[in-house]
Amino acid sequence: MVAGVPRSLGSYGPVLKEIEEALQSPQCNLNSIGDAIQKDPDLTARLLRLANSPFFGFANRLSTVAEAVSLLGIQQIQDMIVASSVLEQFKGVPDNLVNKDSFWRHSLAVGITARLLAMERRLPKPDKFFVAGLLHDVGRLVLMLQAPEAAQAVFELYQCEKILLRDAEKKILGYDHQQIAAELLQSWSYPAALVQAVAFHHAPDSSVAKMDAAVVHIADHLVNAMGIGSSGEQFVAPLDEKAWATLGLDTDMLARLVESLDEQILAVEEAFLKKGARDERAI
Amino acid sequence: MVRVKSEELQPGMVVAGDVKNIDGMLLAPSGCQLSERQIDILQTWGVTEVDIEASEAQAKARDPLAQLPPEVLAKITADLRARFWKPDDFGPVPAEIFKLMLLRQARRNLNPAKA
Repeated sequence: MVAGVPRSLGSYGPVLKEIEEALQSPQCNLNSIGDAIQKDPDLTARLLRLANSPFFGFANRLSTVAEAVSLLGIQQIQDMIVASSVLEQFKGVPDNLVNKDSFWRHSLAVGITARLLAMERRLPKPDKFFVAGLLHDVGRLVLMLQAPEAAQAVFELYQCEKILLRDAEKKILGYDHQQIAAELLQSWSYPAALVQAVAFHHAPDSSVAKMDAAVVHIADHLVNAMGIGSSGEQFVAPLDEKAWATLGLDTDMLARLVESLDEQILAVEEAFLKKGARDERAI
Repeated sequence: MVRVKSEELQPGMVVAGDVKNIDGMLLAPSGCQLSERQIDILQTWGVTEVDIEASEAQAKARDPLAQLPPEVLAKITADLRARFWKPDDFGPVPAEIFKLMLLRQARRNLNPAKA
């Protein structure tokens, strides 16, 4: 395994810690959580942009963090903070290995698609699929951050042999980005189903959480087929038809899904990828 | 061919297949141009939907692939195939997804503002 899974990715940042503290306090209320979030103006701006985007489709405009917390729920807010803090780690990834914007657009789009598929299938807590989709390729990020030379070798092999990126990873490293991500997410004590969804997104049928992995697998395939961003893979990897059977949706819904994806992705990209109001960090 | 609800039938539409009542009696033969009276008869017999020959122009308007010049269609198909891993091995679901992506690309070619 890649030496030293980055612990820095594991600390969700001071804001999350404060939220957790606020939650444990007997005087906890929406405002105290809102206050904790508002200490980071950049995060606040992103949160409100996302809450007001068509992704959630609230009728009224949300103007305060407390409102956003009450409507979206604590879990959702924490998930979004995790997403934002993972995003920050991209700053360290060497530019020659991956187009960061493109990687991010891919990750976001898979998150959005996974959530839509889960809603379509009426699975409980569809928002957790947003996080699973968002993080599904985080193993590649870890590889590029921690072992840029190995990542470079993988990159050269798959370009020259025209094979799938994950097969190149296996040839060079002996394992692929799914296992790296699994180790990372486990070290974060992520829920088992989420770890499974990420760890088996290329082989959903081998997972013990088949449905979770199938949702991420299909979302990844659709987003690749649509060509929204890229995680570095040069081909649209094959779809596992068993995963489609597990999900149990009719192919008739795909046309509608693709259409709403094109709309939602634009809106959410605005919220997440726009630079924060305060500083010029390239996120 | 399009399936049209009986109440939306218009005189002049061409039937694409024999229309029979529940006892198998022929109400309108395939290829016949419907008159107002025939539409009345179909509705009286409780026929709910009729397959109608789509005029070429109508079919073309619905199908973005038919609106593209053949060489452009060939190019976007080839470009799309080149992006997929082993497109010759597609099962039914991947084939369906590929078709959707081709339609999406065709629409974008026809209406670049939306891309």
